[in-house]
Amino acid sequence: MKTPVSVLRLPRGPDPNSRGFDPNSPRFIALCPTTVSTSSSGSVDEEEQRLRSELRERFLRTLLLMTDKQVQFDMFEKVRVRATFGASDIDVLNFQVSDLETPLGVQKEALLRCHDMISCSFEL
Amino acid sequence: MLQWSDRSPQHWREFVNHEVCVTVQDQQRFEGRVFTVDPVSASVVLVSVQENERPSVRVILGHAVTDVQILRRGTEETERQMKSVFLPDQTQILSAEELKSRRESLRLWLEKNLVPVTEDGEVLRVANALTISAPYGPGDCSCANEIILARIQSLVESNPGAEQTSLSQTHQ
Repeated sequence: MKTPVSVLRLPRGPDPNSRGFDPNSPRFIALCPTTVSTSSSGSVDEEEQRLRSELRERFLRTLLLMTDKQVQFDMFEKVRVRATFGASDIDVLNFQVSDLETPLGVQKEALLRCHDMISCSFEL
Repeated sequence: MLQWSDRSPQHWREFVNHEVCVTVQDQQRFEGRVFTVDPVSASVVLVSVQENERPSVRVILGHAVTDVQILRRGTEETERQMKSVFLPDQTQILSAEELKSRRESLRLWLEKNLVPVTEDGEVLRVANALTISAPYGPGDCSCANEIILARIQSLVESNPGAEQTSLSQTHQ
């Protein structure tokens, strides 16, 4: 199942005008200072910031470890696909993968929507 | 009952290092030790705890999580084991002389490449913009400017003098 199929649909590229910072992304809307934050009113706690950085750094290391590995993606409706993980975007909304094995054939490069995923797993 | 993804980082931190059972939207359950919960997407990263199988990692997307239950609490040992999988090896404690010779070797190499570098105690400062701290490897540079960072990093990496000193290599 290794012969790549021709591209069926090109994904939408990143916004060419900004550095990837999207004011409509869920993360910006959640953390934007003008909206009410759920944890504490007013300025974000230093302790909370420290926790966030610690947790985020660990997550980034997970993504690093996942790079160039064969990953199994479990999507909704019992769909399971395998691919080589390439990269994630900053808000964990899309994963760039290579050699995505689908019932239609192997897609050489693809973008997977994280919102369609339940989990992904890989071996060390 | 608040949704998992609406919880606070303090709440998520409570689960790190413990063995949990995560229930997801299609009623499936996953077990493993929590390495982290991403504060941006609330995604849970589980590491498998089975001894006889190859270790595996599962990332469960935050929007799909319906419940997380702690099965067994972890210990300092389990935290250490988990960290060793993800984080590069902590560099062995280098003696002061070894650190000094590495710092000196790097400083000379940078000067040879006409980079303005000064020594400020234990760190090297480059052009007042970038700092290199012990043990003076490419990963120890910190700078606010990406371009300067990239150029100095590749210089540090190509330092011919550094290959002679012994240091545990980072591996990913």
